[in-house]
Amino acid sequence: MTATLVPRGAPPVEIAVLARRSGVDPGLTRRFVALGLLDRGYTPDAAARVARAARLRRDLALNCAGAVLACELLARIDDLERRLSRYEQR
Amino acid sequence: MAVGYHDYYETLGVPRTASEDEIRRAYRKLARENHPDVNKDPAAEQRFKEVSEAYEVLRDPEKRAQYDRFGRNWKAGQDVSGSSGFRGRSGRQGSGGNGEYVEFDDADFSEFFEGLFGGRGRRRGGFGGFDGRGMETEAVLELSLEEAARGGRRTLSLDGDDFEVEIPPGVRDGQVLRARDDLLLRIRLRRHPRFRVRDADVYTDLRVAPWEAALGATVEVRTLRGTAKLKVPPGSSSGRRLRLRGEGLGGDLYAEVKIMVPKKLSKKERQLFEQLAKTSTFDPREERR
Repeated sequence: MTATLVPRGAPPVEIAVLARRSGVDPGLTRRFVALGLLDRGYTPDAAARVARAARLRRDLALNCAGAVLACELLARIDDLERRLSRYEQR
Repeated sequence: MAVGYHDYYETLGVPRTASEDEIRRAYRKLARENHPDVNKDPAAEQRFKEVSEAYEVLRDPEKRAQYDRFGRNWKAGQDVSGSSGFRGRSGRQGSGGNGEYVEFDDADFSEFFEGLFGGRGRRRGGFGGFDGRGMETEAVLELSLEEAARGGRRTLSLDGDDFEVEIPPGVRDGQVLRARDDLLLRIRLRRHPRFRVRDADVYTDLRVAPWEAALGATVEVRTLRGTAKLKVPPGSSSGRRLRLRGEGLGGDLYAEVKIMVPKKLSKKERQLFEQLAKTSTFDPREERR
């Protein structure tokens, strides 16, 4: 039997591609990624998450870590609201 | 776009005597509550824009003084000029120190703001402190991608002065041209529904029928300068890029194959597709396994 080895951790993220898609400066994009913005997975909405973090940082005068935390909490709120609405529909 | 006098102090909920610190704290609180990424209420976005506009003015001592002086009589000094597509610069304003800055686009701000301040960097008469005589002024010239590709002479108007400027063919977004001794033009390329710009290259979708993609075809494609015939090689999947050399903005035009399927099939078409499905051994997911 052949076992397929899967590397641990998130797949490598091409910062330049992510920066271009999100319209965010590559240096800032790299910083968000390093702070764990995409630790939940490099999904198709990764560029949108980077753009959101950049907007929050800019508009609310957050530092990078604060913007990443805000994104994480907003994603969790979205998730909980979705679950709650499913629960209420039952 | 909102019309009429805006009380920026009321928008931020601060007295007219508020310090810079009080204004900043009020803005941050309202921005946190109404930021479109945080608050899903559709009205919040409008409130956020109003709050941002108020802060953009009140955070800057010069603008604040001008607003305090002329705000209620904002129509009195209006002399907005300029031909279509020509407007003051908008963009980012850094404040240094705490890394905080406000990004705005003139299009998002009210007519009141435009009337009082014009676009960022626009040289205007009528208000003290905005007279740029003897200084170099920068303005934004918006062009469509077709205009940028073509280049050519263009007549512009600024503060009642008409002048001509030569746009080099293939000019890029952000490029700065000198229009006069005292005037620089920063090129801004408008978004195009059909073309996407990446550096000097331009990308467009090339819609093809499944049989054209499979068998190959010669199809017509729109370019920035007209149309061109393009050979789609047999066996082209979606995403394949076909290059038209020199048809970009100093670079090339890439037509990306996008296979389109008819929404409704005729009886005959359905039969043929069913026949193909039975006959073909092709598995598009095979490579990923």
